[in-house]
Amino acid sequence: MRITQLMRLFIVLALLLVVAGCKTEGKRPVVKIGYMLCNSEEETTQRFLPLTRYLSDKVGVDFVMVPVDTHDFEKRFKAGEFALTHTNSLLYIILRENEGVEIIASEKRGKFGARTAGAIIARKGSGIEKLADIRGKRLAFGPMLAPTGYLAEYDLMLAAGINPENDLAFYSIPPGSYKHEKLIYGVLYGKYDVAAAPVLDLETMAREGKIAPDDFVVLAQSKPIPYCTFAAAKGTDPALVKKVKEALLALKPADTAEVDGERLKVMKAAWIDGYEELPDSDYDPIREMAKRVNMPPYQKY
Amino acid sequence: MFKDTFDKLCWASLAIVLIALLVLLGMNAGSEGKAASGLDKAVEREMAYHARVELIAKLYGPVDGLRKEGKNQEALLKLDELVRKYPGEAHGHILQGEILREMGALDEAVASYVAGVKLNGDYLDDKSPLSRRGDIQRLVDEGLKRIGARAAANPGNRTIAASLQKVNYLRSRLAGGCE
Repeated sequence: MRITQLMRLFIVLALLLVVAGCKTEGKRPVVKIGYMLCNSEEETTQRFLPLTRYLSDKVGVDFVMVPVDTHDFEKRFKAGEFALTHTNSLLYIILRENEGVEIIASEKRGKFGARTAGAIIARKGSGIEKLADIRGKRLAFGPMLAPTGYLAEYDLMLAAGINPENDLAFYSIPPGSYKHEKLIYGVLYGKYDVAAAPVLDLETMAREGKIAPDDFVVLAQSKPIPYCTFAAAKGTDPALVKKVKEALLALKPADTAEVDGERLKVMKAAWIDGYEELPDSDYDPIREMAKRVNMPPYQKY
Repeated sequence: MFKDTFDKLCWASLAIVLIALLVLLGMNAGSEGKAASGLDKAVEREMAYHARVELIAKLYGPVDGLRKEGKNQEALLKLDELVRKYPGEAHGHILQGEILREMGALDEAVASYVAGVKLNGDYLDDKSPLSRRGDIQRLVDEGLKRIGARAAANPGNRTIAASLQKVNYLRSRLAGGCE
């Protein structure tokens, strides 16, 4: 009798141990993060899924990654599809002005840290040596909501008295994905005379050996402005926002996360150098540009 | 030869003189060698330093050329190659700091100067042909003013505080503080 009771007690304890050892993932809150697509859904997922898993590990919340097309972003955010956002700086401003999102952290990548610049480039030896030479030429822009692939360059042209709508032979935007790379190659191989190139892409392509640093002439370049930004919807639990911010600012090159059974370096996978805490006022130069160029969220018809 | 005490004394004195002479010769030879090798080392050091200055001028010449033409972004791209090729060479970081400052990226300029100065303190030395002391002093003044104002307006912001800390690091190095 005594032995039977001891056996039962042992079984109950063993069961309790098993239950205690189980992951409680199912009981953790689920929070969705909308990631603005960079080049393609596949690429964005490959880059940011390890970061999303890292945040889940650090914050104790099951974050779910939602890749979102740039032009659908505000609509889907308004529909409540995700609470946290990862976007370029112009989209952050649009969401900030229209929906009241709060900044969490700014992404560091490239020579200018948490900032980068937009440049107007021509092929070296093409005879285009200064900005005034682009009148009557063929120009390629990046995507319309790209702060350093469209907005900054449009603003540079207006400041130099060049109206892209009237003073160029034409301007166009390369179709499909990898627009920034396409327009840089387009200038190199003569499809366009000039292009609106994000400096970050010039840096990356030069580093990867796709272009040489002296293949191009930089005709004009903007001041460095903030780039990719994490933000939270108005009313998001401040404790959660604080934890996410802490986790992002603490991110180190050696940090890893598990994706499909594989341990990946988070920063390397995401092509980033870390995160910084920029005040919202650091985004004011982009606001001024958007007003001058008549772009959202300040567009007037 | 050693018949009497006088002979013995003579030979003993002669032996003492010979030994003393040998000791003196040995000592002189040692000190001359040391002086000569010390001189060699100083010359070697000087030659290595001049060779480094010349090598730097040659390596970073194309970057300087682009800067003189006002092509800062092209210079920065060219410099990136060199910084990756010679990560332990301070000059690339110093040049990068100069360019970033001219392009309006003050925080990144400060970080680059800090990396350079940590690798080689010659850039703070007034007497060095590589000296950038005046530039670093101006950067510190600008940093204290601008980054200091941002830090005051955003208390608790760790990124700005870290930048200000780097400015203060340069300031302490200018004041003679060690690494």
